[in-house]
Amino acid sequence: MTGRTIVITSGKGGVGKTTATANIGTGLAMRGHKVVVVDTDIGLRNLDVIMGLENRIVYDLVNVIEGECKLNQAMIRDKHAYDLYLIPAAQTRDKNSIEPEQLREMCAELEKEFAYVLIDCPAGIEQGFKNATTAATEAIIVTTPEVSAIRDADRVIGLLESSGLHGPRLIINRISPALVKRGDMMDQQDVENLLSVEILGLVPADEHTVVAANRGVPVVHNTKSSAGAAFLRIAARVDGADIPLMDLEPRTSIISRIRDMVGKKGGAYSHA
Amino acid sequence: MLKAGVVQVMARGTDVAFVIDEEASFDVVSAELREYLANQNGLFSKGDITVNVGQRMLARDELAQVKSIIETHSGLKVTRFWCSPESLSSGDFRIEAKAAPTDTTSASPDSSKNLIHNEISLPLPRTKVGSLPSVESIIEDLKVRQNKNGARNRNRTEALFIKSTFRSGESVQHPGDVVVLADVNPGAEIQADGDIVVFGSLKGWAHAGASGDTKAVIIALELAATRIQIAKYPGIAPTSLPRKPKSSDAGTKIAYVRSRSIHVAAFAGRFARYNKGVPYDG
Repeated sequence: MTGRTIVITSGKGGVGKTTATANIGTGLAMRGHKVVVVDTDIGLRNLDVIMGLENRIVYDLVNVIEGECKLNQAMIRDKHAYDLYLIPAAQTRDKNSIEPEQLREMCAELEKEFAYVLIDCPAGIEQGFKNATTAATEAIIVTTPEVSAIRDADRVIGLLESSGLHGPRLIINRISPALVKRGDMMDQQDVENLLSVEILGLVPADEHTVVAANRGVPVVHNTKSSAGAAFLRIAARVDGADIPLMDLEPRTSIISRIRDMVGKKGGAYSHA
Repeated sequence: MLKAGVVQVMARGTDVAFVIDEEASFDVVSAELREYLANQNGLFSKGDITVNVGQRMLARDELAQVKSIIETHSGLKVTRFWCSPESLSSGDFRIEAKAAPTDTTSASPDSSKNLIHNEISLPLPRTKVGSLPSVESIIEDLKVRQNKNGARNRNRTEALFIKSTFRSGESVQHPGDVVVLADVNPGAEIQADGDIVVFGSLKGWAHAGASGDTKAVIIALELAATRIQIAKYPGIAPTSLPRKPKSSDAGTKIAYVRSRSIHVAAFAGRFARYNKGVPYDG
Protein backbone atom coordinates (compact mmCIF):
# COMPACT_ATOMS: atom_id res chain seq x y z
CA MET A 1 0.00 0.00 0.00
CA THR A 2 1.24 3.47 -0.72
CA GLY A 3 -0.50 5.89 1.58
CA ARG A 4 -0.81 9.66 1.47
CA THR A 5 1.01 11.82 3.99
CA ILE A 6 -0.93 15.00 4.67
CA VAL A 7 0.24 17.80 6.96
CA ILE A 8 -2.35 19.91 8.75
CA THR A 9 -0.92 23.34 9.41
CA SER A 10 -1.94 26.96 9.93
CA GLY A 11 0.86 29.25 11.03
CA LYS A 12 -1.25 30.82 13.74
CA GLY A 13 -1.93 28.91 16.91
CA GLY A 14 -5.32 28.06 18.31
CA VAL A 15 -7.24 27.92 15.04
CA GLY A 16 -8.02 24.21 15.30
CA LYS A 17 -5.17 22.23 13.70
CA THR A 18 -5.22 19.52 16.33
CA THR A 19 -9.02 19.33 16.38
CA ALA A 20 -9.04 19.09 12.59
CA THR A 21 -6.37 16.36 12.64
CA ALA A 22 -8.25 14.27 15.20
CA ASN A 23 -11.56 14.65 13.39
CA ILE A 24 -10.35 14.13 9.83
CA GLY A 25 -8.34 11.12 11.03
CA THR A 26 -11.37 9.66 12.76
CA GLY A 27 -13.57 10.50 9.78
CA LEU A 28 -11.23 8.71 7.37
CA ALA A 29 -11.06 5.70 9.70
CA MET A 30 -14.87 5.65 9.87
CA ARG A 31 -14.82 5.41 6.09
CA GLY A 32 -12.91 2.17 6.48
CA HIS A 33 -9.33 3.33 5.94
CA LYS A 34 -6.28 2.49 7.98
CA VAL A 35 -5.14 5.82 9.39
CA VAL A 36 -2.32 7.02 11.61
CA VAL A 37 -2.15 10.51 13.10
CA VAL A 38 1.26 11.85 14.13
CA ASP A 39 1.60 14.66 16.66
CA THR A 40 4.72 16.67 15.79
CA ASP A 41 4.11 19.39 18.36
CA ILE A 42 6.99 18.16 20.49
CA GLY A 43 6.98 19.75 23.93
CA LEU A 44 3.36 20.90 23.67
CA ARG A 45 1.52 17.72 22.82
CA ASN A 46 -2.26 17.93 22.60
CA LEU A 47 -3.52 15.45 20.07
CA ASP A 48 -3.51 12.60 22.60
CA VAL A 49 -5.69 14.65 24.94
CA ILE A 50 -8.19 15.57 22.22
CA MET A 51 -8.43 11.89 21.26
CA GLY A 52 -8.65 10.75 24.86
CA LEU A 53 -5.56 8.56 24.64
CA GLU A 54 -3.33 10.44 27.08
CA ASN A 55 -3.16 7.65 29.67
CA ARG A 56 -2.04 5.01 27.16
CA ILE A 57 1.22 6.68 26.11
CA VAL A 58 4.32 4.58 26.71
CA TYR A 59 6.61 5.52 23.83
CA ASP A 60 6.51 8.65 21.70
CA LEU A 61 7.71 10.12 18.41
CA VAL A 62 11.18 11.03 19.70
CA ASN A 63 11.65 7.50 21.07
CA VAL A 64 10.91 6.14 17.60
CA ILE A 65 13.22 8.58 15.85
CA GLU A 66 16.04 7.90 18.30
CA GLY A 67 15.57 4.16 17.88
CA GLU A 68 14.59 3.46 21.47
CA CYS A 69 11.50 1.58 20.42
CA LYS A 70 9.93 0.06 17.33
CA LEU A 71 7.50 2.07 15.27
CA ASN A 72 4.52 -0.10 16.19
CA GLN A 73 5.35 0.13 19.90
CA ALA A 74 4.68 3.87 19.81
CA MET A 75 1.38 3.51 17.95
CA ILE A 76 -1.65 3.77 20.20
CA ARG A 77 -4.88 2.29 18.89
CA ASP A 78 -7.94 4.51 19.12
CA LYS A 79 -10.51 3.64 21.79
CA HIS A 80 -13.25 3.28 19.22
CA ALA A 81 -12.79 0.14 17.19
CA TYR A 82 -11.69 1.89 14.01
CA ASP A 83 -8.37 1.28 12.32
CA LEU A 84 -6.98 4.50 13.75
CA TYR A 85 -3.62 4.91 15.46
CA LEU A 86 -1.83 7.79 17.18
CA ILE A 87 1.88 8.46 17.44
CA PRO A 88 2.14 10.99 20.27
CA ALA A 89 4.74 13.74 20.56
CA ALA A 90 7.28 13.78 23.37
CA GLN A 91 6.38 16.23 26.10
CA THR A 92 9.78 16.55 27.75
CA ARG A 93 11.77 17.39 24.59
CA ASP A 94 11.70 20.20 22.04
CA LYS A 95 11.28 20.65 18.30
CA ASN A 96 15.01 20.39 17.65
CA SER A 97 15.07 16.79 18.87
CA ILE A 98 14.19 15.56 15.39
CA GLU A 99 15.30 16.40 11.86
CA PRO A 100 12.93 16.82 8.89
CA GLU A 101 14.60 13.92 7.06
CA GLN A 102 14.11 11.57 10.00
CA LEU A 103 10.39 12.34 10.10
CA ARG A 104 10.18 11.90 6.32
CA GLU A 105 11.76 8.46 6.64
CA MET A 106 9.33 7.50 9.37
CA CYS A 107 6.35 8.64 7.30
CA ALA A 108 7.64 6.73 4.28
CA GLU A 109 7.66 3.65 6.50
CA LEU A 110 4.10 4.39 7.69
CA GLU A 111 2.88 4.94 4.12
CA LYS A 112 3.61 1.30 3.39
CA GLU A 113 1.10 0.17 5.98
CA PHE A 114 -1.44 2.99 6.22
CA ALA A 115 -3.74 4.60 3.67
CA TYR A 116 -3.46 7.99 5.38
CA VAL A 117 -0.70 9.48 7.50
CA LEU A 118 -1.92 12.77 9.02
CA ILE A 119 0.68 15.07 10.58
CA ASP A 120 -0.46 17.56 13.19
CA CYS A 121 1.88 20.53 12.68
CA PRO A 122 2.86 22.86 15.52
CA ALA A 123 2.04 26.58 15.29
CA GLY A 124 4.73 28.89 13.97
CA ILE A 125 7.05 28.62 10.99
CA GLU A 126 10.23 27.45 12.73
CA GLN A 127 11.87 24.05 13.13
CA GLY A 128 8.64 22.24 14.05
CA PHE A 129 6.93 23.56 10.93
CA LYS A 130 9.89 22.51 8.78
CA ASN A 131 9.86 19.02 10.31
CA ALA A 132 6.17 18.55 9.67
CA THR A 133 5.97 20.01 6.17
CA THR A 134 9.09 18.30 4.84
CA ALA A 135 7.64 14.94 5.79
CA ALA A 136 4.36 15.51 3.93
CA THR A 137 3.41 15.38 0.28
CA GLU A 138 0.08 17.19 0.66
CA ALA A 139 -1.04 20.02 2.90
CA ILE A 140 -4.25 21.18 4.50
CA ILE A 141 -4.29 24.71 5.91
CA VAL A 142 -6.65 25.51 8.77
CA THR A 143 -7.72 29.09 9.31
CA THR A 144 -10.49 31.01 10.99
CA PRO A 145 -12.28 33.96 9.40
CA GLU A 146 -10.10 36.49 11.24
CA VAL A 147 -7.57 38.79 9.58
CA SER A 148 -4.69 37.64 11.76
CA ALA A 149 -5.29 33.94 11.07
CA ILE A 150 -5.68 34.62 7.36
CA ARG A 151 -2.49 36.69 7.22
CA ASP A 152 -0.60 33.78 8.78
CA ALA A 153 -2.27 31.27 6.47
CA ASP A 154 -1.16 33.40 3.51
CA ARG A 155 2.43 33.33 4.76
CA VAL A 156 2.29 29.57 5.29
CA ILE A 157 0.90 28.97 1.79
CA GLY A 158 3.80 31.00 0.39
CA LEU A 159 6.32 28.99 2.41
CA LEU A 160 4.76 25.68 1.38
CA GLU A 161 4.81 26.63 -2.27
CA SER A 162 8.42 27.76 -2.15
CA SER A 163 9.36 24.43 -0.56
CA GLY A 164 7.60 22.55 -3.35
CA LEU A 165 4.38 21.55 -1.56
CA HIS A 166 1.92 22.80 -4.14
CA GLY A 167 -1.85 23.08 -4.11
CA PRO A 168 -2.61 23.22 -0.39
CA ARG A 169 -6.31 23.11 0.46
CA LEU A 170 -8.06 25.26 3.00
CA ILE A 171 -10.40 24.57 5.90
CA ILE A 172 -12.16 27.62 7.30
CA ASN A 173 -12.89 26.76 10.89
CA ARG A 174 -15.17 28.31 13.47
CA ILE A 175 -17.41 30.22 11.08
CA SER A 176 -20.26 31.93 12.84
CA PRO A 177 -23.11 31.98 10.30
CA ALA A 178 -25.00 34.67 12.21
CA LEU A 179 -22.01 37.04 12.17
CA VAL A 180 -21.40 36.36 8.48
CA LYS A 181 -25.05 37.14 7.72
CA ARG A 182 -24.77 40.43 9.60
CA GLY A 183 -21.65 41.28 7.59
CA ASP A 184 -19.46 41.29 10.70
CA MET A 185 -17.37 38.29 9.69
CA MET A 186 -15.54 37.46 6.48
CA ASP A 187 -17.40 34.92 4.43
CA GLN A 188 -16.03 32.04 2.40
CA GLN A 189 -15.78 34.16 -0.75
CA ASP A 190 -13.70 36.87 0.96
CA VAL A 191 -11.25 34.29 2.28
CA GLU A 192 -11.09 32.47 -1.04
CA ASN A 193 -10.41 35.72 -2.91
CA LEU A 194 -7.58 36.68 -0.61
CA LEU A 195 -5.80 33.35 -0.34
CA SER A 196 -6.67 32.02 -3.82
CA VAL A 197 -6.50 28.36 -2.83
CA GLU A 198 -9.06 25.59 -3.08
CA ILE A 199 -11.46 25.34 -0.14
CA LEU A 200 -11.67 21.88 1.36
CA GLY A 201 -14.37 22.61 3.87
CA LEU A 202 -16.23 25.03 6.10
CA VAL A 203 -16.67 24.24 9.77
CA PRO A 204 -19.22 26.20 11.80
CA ALA A 205 -18.49 27.35 15.33
CA ASP A 206 -20.12 24.73 17.52
CA GLU A 207 -20.11 24.28 21.29
CA HIS A 208 -20.06 20.52 20.78
CA THR A 209 -16.48 20.82 19.52
CA VAL A 210 -15.31 22.24 22.84
CA VAL A 211 -17.24 19.67 24.86
CA ALA A 212 -15.90 16.85 22.68
CA ALA A 213 -12.32 18.06 23.10
CA ASN A 214 -12.71 18.18 26.87
CA ARG A 215 -14.15 14.68 26.93
CA GLY A 216 -11.47 13.31 24.62
CA VAL A 217 -13.95 12.10 22.01
CA PRO A 218 -13.59 13.76 18.59
CA VAL A 219 -16.72 15.66 17.62
CA VAL A 220 -17.32 13.52 14.50
CA HIS A 221 -18.69 10.87 16.86
CA ASN A 222 -21.46 13.26 17.86
CA THR A 223 -24.21 12.88 15.26
CA LYS A 224 -26.01 15.98 16.53
CA SER A 225 -23.07 18.30 15.98
CA SER A 226 -22.93 20.54 12.90
CA ALA A 227 -19.13 20.77 13.22
CA GLY A 228 -18.91 16.98 13.41
CA ALA A 229 -20.97 16.68 10.22
CA ALA A 230 -18.71 19.26 8.55
CA PHE A 231 -15.58 17.30 9.50
CA LEU A 232 -17.12 14.09 8.16
CA ARG A 233 -17.74 15.81 4.83
CA ILE A 234 -14.16 17.11 4.85
CA ALA A 235 -12.85 13.59 5.48
CA ALA A 236 -14.94 12.37 2.55
CA ARG A 237 -13.47 15.10 0.31
CA VAL A 238 -9.94 14.22 1.39
CA ASP A 239 -10.86 10.67 0.43
CA GLY A 240 -11.77 11.89 -3.06
CA ALA A 241 -15.57 12.07 -2.74
CA ASP A 242 -17.19 14.89 -4.68
CA ILE A 243 -19.39 16.62 -2.13
CA PRO A 244 -20.38 20.27 -2.63
CA LEU A 245 -19.62 22.77 0.12
CA MET A 246 -22.58 23.33 2.45
CA ASP A 247 -24.10 26.73 2.92
CA LEU A 248 -23.94 27.57 6.58
CA GLU A 249 -27.26 28.99 7.68
CA PRO A 250 -27.65 30.71 11.02
CA ARG A 251 -29.43 28.38 13.39
CA THR A 252 -32.43 30.10 14.89
CA SER A 253 -34.53 29.03 17.80
CA ILE A 254 -38.04 27.76 17.25
CA ILE A 255 -39.46 30.72 19.11
CA SER A 256 -37.72 33.27 16.90
CA ARG A 257 -38.78 31.35 13.81
CA ILE A 258 -42.40 31.42 14.95
CA ARG A 259 -42.01 35.10 15.71
CA ASP A 260 -40.65 35.63 12.18
CA MET A 261 -43.61 33.81 10.71
CA VAL A 262 -46.08 35.78 12.77
CA GLY A 263 -44.24 38.98 11.92
CA LYS A 264 -44.40 38.28 8.21
CA LYS A 265 -48.14 37.87 8.42
CA GLY A 266 -48.36 41.27 10.02
CA GLY A 267 -49.58 39.84 13.29
CA ALA A 268 -49.90 41.36 16.71
CA TYR A 269 -46.13 41.21 17.45
CA SER A 270 -45.02 43.14 14.43
CA HIS A 271 -45.05 46.51 16.16
CA ALA A 272 -44.12 45.24 19.59
CA MET B 1 32.65 30.81 -5.37
CA LEU B 2 31.61 31.27 -9.00
CA LYS B 3 34.65 30.88 -11.18
CA ALA B 4 34.67 33.11 -14.23
CA GLY B 5 30.89 33.17 -14.15
CA VAL B 6 30.42 30.09 -16.29
CA VAL B 7 27.52 29.08 -14.11
CA GLN B 8 25.41 31.86 -12.65
CA VAL B 9 22.65 31.44 -10.12
CA MET B 10 19.74 33.83 -10.11
CA ALA B 11 16.39 34.06 -8.41
CA ARG B 12 13.22 34.91 -10.19
CA GLY B 13 10.05 35.19 -8.16
CA THR B 14 10.33 32.18 -5.93
CA ASP B 15 12.27 30.23 -8.54
CA VAL B 16 16.01 29.83 -8.66
CA ALA B 17 17.61 29.57 -12.06
CA PHE B 18 21.10 28.48 -13.08
CA VAL B 19 22.30 30.45 -16.05
CA ILE B 20 25.07 28.89 -18.08
CA ASP B 21 27.59 31.01 -19.94
CA GLU B 22 27.09 30.99 -23.67
CA GLU B 23 30.73 30.85 -24.74
CA ALA B 24 32.27 28.24 -22.46
CA SER B 25 32.64 24.75 -23.83
CA PHE B 26 30.26 22.07 -22.64
CA ASP B 27 32.95 20.17 -20.75
CA VAL B 28 33.93 23.29 -18.83
CA VAL B 29 30.31 23.99 -18.01
CA SER B 30 29.57 20.52 -16.70
CA ALA B 31 32.76 20.44 -14.64
CA GLU B 32 32.04 23.89 -13.17
CA LEU B 33 28.44 23.03 -12.43
CA ARG B 34 29.40 19.80 -10.70
CA GLU B 35 32.06 21.51 -8.64
CA TYR B 36 29.79 24.41 -7.75
CA LEU B 37 26.98 22.17 -6.56
CA ALA B 38 29.39 19.99 -4.61
CA ASN B 39 30.71 23.07 -2.82
CA GLN B 40 27.19 24.28 -2.06
CA ASN B 41 26.21 20.91 -0.66
CA GLY B 42 22.92 21.25 1.15
CA LEU B 43 22.22 24.84 0.15
CA PHE B 44 19.73 23.81 -2.50
CA SER B 45 17.98 21.06 -0.65
CA LYS B 46 14.59 21.07 -2.28
CA GLY B 47 12.76 22.83 -5.07
CA ASP B 48 12.34 23.22 -8.78
CA ILE B 49 14.85 24.75 -11.12
CA THR B 50 14.92 26.04 -14.66
CA VAL B 51 18.02 25.99 -16.81
CA ASN B 52 18.71 28.76 -19.30
CA VAL B 53 21.06 27.46 -21.94
CA GLY B 54 21.35 30.87 -23.59
CA GLN B 55 22.19 30.69 -27.27
CA ARG B 56 24.00 27.42 -26.91
CA MET B 57 22.98 24.52 -29.08
CA LEU B 58 22.97 21.46 -26.89
CA ALA B 59 22.38 17.93 -28.01
CA ARG B 60 19.72 15.89 -26.35
CA ASP B 61 22.14 13.84 -24.27
CA GLU B 62 23.99 16.97 -23.21
CA LEU B 63 20.79 18.43 -21.80
CA ALA B 64 20.13 15.15 -20.03
CA GLN B 65 23.66 15.32 -18.64
CA VAL B 66 23.09 18.85 -17.27
CA LYS B 67 19.87 17.66 -15.71
CA SER B 68 21.49 14.67 -14.07
CA ILE B 69 24.41 16.74 -12.75
CA ILE B 70 22.01 19.17 -11.09
CA GLU B 71 19.72 16.48 -9.73
CA THR B 72 22.42 14.20 -8.37
CA HIS B 73 24.47 16.97 -6.76
CA SER B 74 21.56 18.79 -5.15
CA GLY B 75 18.00 18.12 -4.11
CA LEU B 76 16.69 20.24 -6.96
CA LYS B 77 14.41 19.00 -9.69
CA VAL B 78 14.91 20.33 -13.22
CA THR B 79 11.50 21.28 -14.55
CA ARG B 80 12.35 23.17 -17.68
CA PHE B 81 15.07 24.11 -20.11
CA TRP B 82 14.73 27.40 -21.87
CA CYS B 83 16.80 29.66 -24.04
CA SER B 84 17.29 33.22 -25.20
CA PRO B 85 14.77 34.25 -27.86
CA GLU B 86 17.45 34.94 -30.48
CA SER B 87 18.50 31.34 -30.57
CA LEU B 88 14.97 30.31 -31.48
CA SER B 89 15.62 31.46 -35.01
CA SER B 90 17.97 28.56 -35.44
CA GLY B 91 15.82 25.59 -36.30
CA ASP B 92 18.21 22.99 -34.94
CA PHE B 93 18.00 24.24 -31.43
CA ARG B 94 14.25 24.26 -31.37
CA ILE B 95 14.17 20.58 -32.19
CA GLU B 96 16.76 19.71 -29.61
CA ALA B 97 15.10 21.70 -26.89
CA LYS B 98 11.73 20.15 -27.54
CA ALA B 99 13.12 16.68 -27.64
CA ALA B 100 15.06 17.04 -24.44
CA PRO B 101 12.33 16.84 -21.82
CA THR B 102 10.85 13.62 -23.19
CA ASP B 103 13.90 11.60 -22.37
CA THR B 104 14.63 13.37 -19.13
CA THR B 105 11.33 12.36 -17.56
CA SER B 106 10.16 15.91 -17.15
CA ALA B 107 7.16 16.49 -14.92
CA SER B 108 5.19 18.17 -17.69
CA PRO B 109 3.56 15.76 -20.11
CA ASP B 110 3.29 18.39 -22.83
CA SER B 111 6.81 18.76 -24.12
CA SER B 112 6.11 21.95 -26.04
CA LYS B 113 5.41 23.65 -22.70
CA ASN B 114 9.00 23.10 -21.74
CA LEU B 115 10.17 25.64 -24.25
CA ILE B 116 9.18 29.05 -23.00
CA HIS B 117 9.74 31.97 -25.33
CA ASN B 118 10.33 35.47 -24.17
CA GLU B 119 10.96 34.78 -20.58
CA ILE B 120 13.58 37.07 -19.18
CA SER B 121 16.52 36.47 -21.42
CA LEU B 122 19.29 38.04 -19.37
CA PRO B 123 20.31 37.45 -15.80
CA LEU B 124 18.96 40.06 -13.42
CA PRO B 125 21.72 40.19 -10.89
CA ARG B 126 20.21 42.63 -8.44
CA THR B 127 16.92 40.84 -8.06
CA LYS B 128 16.58 39.62 -4.50
CA VAL B 129 13.94 37.27 -3.26
CA GLY B 130 13.22 37.44 0.41
CA SER B 131 11.73 34.01 0.84
CA LEU B 132 14.98 32.42 -0.33
CA PRO B 133 17.53 33.99 2.00
CA SER B 134 20.19 31.43 1.18
CA VAL B 135 20.32 32.65 -2.38
CA GLU B 136 20.86 36.26 -1.42
CA SER B 137 24.55 35.85 -0.74
CA ILE B 138 25.02 34.47 -4.24
CA ILE B 139 22.99 37.28 -5.76
CA GLU B 140 25.01 39.78 -3.76
CA ASP B 141 28.16 38.24 -5.14
CA LEU B 142 26.83 38.45 -8.68
CA LYS B 143 25.93 42.08 -8.12
CA VAL B 144 29.46 42.94 -7.13
CA ARG B 145 30.83 41.19 -10.16
CA GLN B 146 28.32 42.81 -12.47
CA ASN B 147 29.30 46.25 -11.28
CA LYS B 148 32.93 45.42 -12.04
CA ASN B 149 31.90 44.31 -15.49
CA GLY B 150 30.57 47.75 -16.27
CA ALA B 151 27.02 47.52 -14.94
CA ARG B 152 25.28 46.07 -17.92
CA ASN B 153 21.90 46.24 -16.20
CA ARG B 154 21.95 49.91 -15.31
CA ASN B 155 19.38 50.71 -17.95
CA ARG B 156 16.39 49.25 -16.22
CA THR B 157 14.70 47.97 -19.32
CA GLU B 158 13.79 44.49 -18.26
CA ALA B 159 10.63 43.84 -16.31
CA LEU B 160 10.30 41.21 -13.64
CA PHE B 161 7.14 39.17 -14.02
CA ILE B 162 5.60 37.60 -10.97
CA LYS B 163 3.05 35.10 -12.13
CA SER B 164 1.52 33.75 -8.95
CA THR B 165 -0.04 35.35 -5.90
CA PHE B 166 2.63 37.32 -4.04
CA ARG B 167 2.02 36.40 -0.45
CA SER B 168 2.73 37.70 3.02
CA GLY B 169 6.42 37.45 3.89
CA GLU B 170 7.57 37.36 0.29
CA SER B 171 9.63 40.30 -0.90
CA VAL B 172 11.38 41.29 -4.08
CA GLN B 173 13.78 44.06 -5.03
CA HIS B 174 14.27 44.67 -8.70
CA PRO B 175 16.26 47.21 -10.74
CA GLY B 176 13.53 47.57 -13.39
CA ASP B 177 9.76 47.45 -13.62
CA VAL B 178 7.81 44.80 -11.76
CA VAL B 179 4.64 43.29 -13.22
CA VAL B 180 2.49 41.06 -11.04
CA LEU B 181 -0.07 38.93 -12.86
CA ALA B 182 -1.90 38.11 -9.63
CA ASP B 183 -2.72 39.64 -6.27
CA VAL B 184 -0.18 41.16 -3.90
CA ASN B 185 -1.37 40.15 -0.46
CA PRO B 186 -0.95 42.09 2.79
CA GLY B 187 2.52 41.63 4.24
CA ALA B 188 4.23 41.21 0.87
CA GLU B 189 6.83 43.78 -0.23
CA ILE B 190 7.82 44.92 -3.70
CA GLN B 191 10.60 47.41 -4.32
CA ALA B 192 11.28 48.39 -7.92
CA ASP B 193 13.49 51.04 -9.44
CA GLY B 194 10.86 51.39 -12.17
CA ASP B 195 7.08 51.10 -12.22
CA ILE B 196 4.99 48.52 -10.41
CA VAL B 197 1.99 47.17 -12.27
CA VAL B 198 -0.39 44.78 -10.55
CA PHE B 199 -2.99 42.92 -12.57
CA GLY B 200 -4.93 42.14 -9.46
CA SER B 201 -5.46 43.55 -6.03
CA LEU B 202 -2.53 45.40 -4.45
CA LYS B 203 -2.78 45.01 -0.70
CA GLY B 204 0.88 44.70 0.21
CA TRP B 205 3.60 47.35 0.35
CA ALA B 206 4.78 48.66 -3.02
CA HIS B 207 7.71 51.01 -3.50
CA ALA B 208 8.20 52.24 -7.07
CA GLY B 209 11.15 54.34 -8.21
CA ALA B 210 13.12 52.99 -5.28
CA SER B 211 16.37 54.47 -6.55
CA GLY B 212 14.88 57.95 -6.59
CA ASP B 213 12.86 58.16 -9.79
CA THR B 214 9.85 60.35 -8.97
CA LYS B 215 8.39 59.69 -12.42
CA ALA B 216 7.75 56.06 -11.51
CA VAL B 217 4.14 55.03 -10.93
CA ILE B 218 2.16 52.26 -9.29
CA ILE B 219 -0.76 50.86 -11.24
CA ALA B 220 -3.20 48.30 -9.87
CA LEU B 221 -6.57 46.91 -10.91
CA GLU B 222 -7.53 47.34 -7.28
CA LEU B 223 -5.41 49.65 -5.17
CA ALA B 224 -6.17 48.46 -1.66
CA ALA B 225 -2.75 49.00 -0.08
CA THR B 226 -2.76 51.03 3.10
CA ARG B 227 0.79 52.23 2.44
CA ILE B 228 2.69 52.77 -0.78
CA GLN B 229 5.81 54.70 -1.71
CA ILE B 230 7.24 56.32 -4.83
CA ALA B 231 10.88 57.41 -4.67
CA LYS B 232 11.19 59.06 -1.24
CA TYR B 233 7.54 60.03 -0.94
CA PRO B 234 5.39 57.79 1.23
CA GLY B 235 1.65 57.59 0.70
CA ILE B 236 -0.93 56.43 3.21
CA ALA B 237 -4.44 55.50 2.15
CA PRO B 238 -7.08 57.96 3.33
CA THR B 239 -8.51 56.65 6.57
CA SER B 240 -11.76 58.52 6.10
CA LEU B 241 -12.78 56.14 3.33
CA PRO B 242 -16.11 54.53 4.12
CA ARG B 243 -15.96 50.86 5.07
CA LYS B 244 -18.23 49.90 2.20
CA PRO B 245 -16.48 50.83 -1.06
CA LYS B 246 -18.28 53.23 -3.38
CA SER B 247 -18.57 52.49 -7.08
CA SER B 248 -16.11 55.31 -7.83
CA ASP B 249 -13.48 53.46 -5.78
CA ALA B 250 -13.60 50.48 -8.10
CA GLY B 251 -11.51 50.23 -11.23
CA THR B 252 -7.87 50.48 -12.17
CA LYS B 253 -5.94 53.13 -10.27
CA ILE B 254 -2.64 54.86 -10.81
CA ALA B 255 -0.51 56.35 -8.05
CA TYR B 256 1.98 59.08 -8.98
CA VAL B 257 3.98 61.89 -7.42
CA ARG B 258 2.55 65.37 -7.72
CA SER B 259 3.99 68.36 -5.86
CA ARG B 260 5.98 66.13 -3.56
CA SER B 261 3.15 63.92 -2.42
CA ILE B 262 1.44 60.80 -3.66
CA HIS B 263 -1.82 61.15 -5.56
CA VAL B 264 -4.12 58.42 -6.81
CA ALA B 265 -6.42 58.72 -9.78
CA ALA B 266 -8.43 56.47 -12.08
CA PHE B 267 -6.08 54.99 -14.63
CA ALA B 268 -6.25 56.62 -18.06
CA GLY B 269 -2.92 55.55 -19.54
CA ARG B 270 0.63 55.36 -18.26
CA PHE B 271 1.63 58.77 -19.71
CA ALA B 272 -1.74 60.48 -19.52
CA ARG B 273 -2.00 63.84 -17.77
CA TYR B 274 -3.52 63.53 -14.33
CA ASN B 275 -4.99 66.57 -12.61
CA LYS B 276 -7.62 65.46 -10.19
CA GLY B 277 -6.13 62.84 -7.96
CA VAL B 278 -6.91 61.92 -4.40
CA PRO B 279 -3.96 62.79 -2.16
CA TYR B 280 -2.65 59.74 -0.34
CA ASP B 281 -1.75 61.47 2.89
CA GLY B 282 -3.58 59.46 5.51
